[in-house]
Amino acid sequence: MSDLDTAMIHAHETGDRRALIGLCAEAADRMNEIDAACFFLTHAYVFALEAGASEAGVLHARLKAQGREA
Amino acid sequence: MTQPLTDLGAVRADVARANGLPNAHYIDARVFEEEKQALLASQWAGLAVAADVPEPGDAKPLDFLGMPLLLIRDREGHVRVFQNICRHRGMILVDAPRKIEGAIRCPYHSWCYSTKGGLVATPHVGGPGRNTHENIDRADLGLLEVRSHVWRDIVWINLSGDAPPFEHAMAGLMARWRDFDLPVYHGGHDSRFTLEVATNWKLAVENYCESYHLPWVHPGLNSYSRLEDHYHIEAPGEYSGQGTMVYRQITNEHGETFPDFADVGAKWNEQAEYIAAYPNVLMGVHRDHAFVIILEPKGPERTVEHVHLYYAVPDSDDGLRMRNTQLWKSVFEEDIFVVEGMQRGRHASGFDGGRFSPVMDSPTHCFHAWVAGRIEAHRALHHDMRRAAE
Repeated sequence: MSDLDTAMIHAHETGDRRALIGLCAEAADRMNEIDAACFFLTHAYVFALEAGASEAGVLHARLKAQGREA
Repeated sequence: MTQPLTDLGAVRADVARANGLPNAHYIDARVFEEEKQALLASQWAGLAVAADVPEPGDAKPLDFLGMPLLLIRDREGHVRVFQNICRHRGMILVDAPRKIEGAIRCPYHSWCYSTKGGLVATPHVGGPGRNTHENIDRADLGLLEVRSHVWRDIVWINLSGDAPPFEHAMAGLMARWRDFDLPVYHGGHDSRFTLEVATNWKLAVENYCESYHLPWVHPGLNSYSRLEDHYHIEAPGEYSGQGTMVYRQITNEHGETFPDFADVGAKWNEQAEYIAAYPNVLMGVHRDHAFVIILEPKGPERTVEHVHLYYAVPDSDDGLRMRNTQLWKSVFEEDIFVVEGMQRGRHASGFDGGRFSPVMDSPTHCFHAWVAGRIEAHRALHHDMRRAAE
């Protein structure tokens, strides 16, 4: 995760929301535990919502399937 | 019983005998707070112009009477005004003008709102990775919307939420200017400017209402539009101002003019009107352009005047537009020493509010009478509420 952590920190620092969506989704996919995965999925979803990005729909559906989103 | 802050008995008398508002209405912080409610929050006050947010998603934070507001054009193109705070911890949502691409994300815990104000995401609200909770009903936690209405591109707000509908409150002025019920186009960046003035906002209204000062303060205007060419405009309780019968169009070096508002009618060939729509919006209409001054009260003795110029077409001539902006800017700047001088004068303890010319000052008195009436109604309401609570 360290490479991903570094990339996420950099994206946060530069305000690169597009990168954050992908990086957070990737972090979610790397998690073996559902709470941890949903934590990162949530971040990917929020950044996608903020950016008006098309990924928001899929991310919302994944969270909803896990009972984590309305 | 608590004594009222000021005695307004002499203000509502006939113009021939009335006194103006007492000094406290210009210099006292307690009266300023009272007037915020009685004259501004409870009415349809001018906040901004829709041209400030031209595209869907455009958002501009504003401060009005100390309240943080957010002016935004939603996805469907409707202009809305919200209190600029997250419903979670009251954090300021948007701290600089910007485009909202998707949702408004609170920078604190990332609760997200649509441009229509709906709460759409509450990340981790039920614990890490759990974004719902049975006690957090998103439908009840949307942004707090301020009642607003756009007319002539001006965004009017009613902070208290209980004023009559805008079309009723402004019915008289809307009818008076029905001829001008036509699209207006903001002239763009060269057609807006602000003037920061060391005065109470009401003095700017008072000076705008009357033509009495024109030959003395605006000799340039008077060279073609004489005092006797002007007439008073008075609609008690709604608006007052002045009109002229000798408006002359501005021209460039080729003798060209701005295109007219189509179908505005021959009546307006040489006529123009300048009206203060109570409380804080000063408007002017001509056959070929219009302007608005939104008065932003910053304190008892400080006002920011936001000036915007409008045209009949979206692509008016650049040079003419800049010339026109400069013309009006110089006129409005000529008024600054007057409103600042009257403001300083309000610290003279012997001043009784002054006397009005029964002939020349009736539009100003019309405004004073409105102020006095609104304040007395406000005081009566609060007196009744206090008695009911006792």
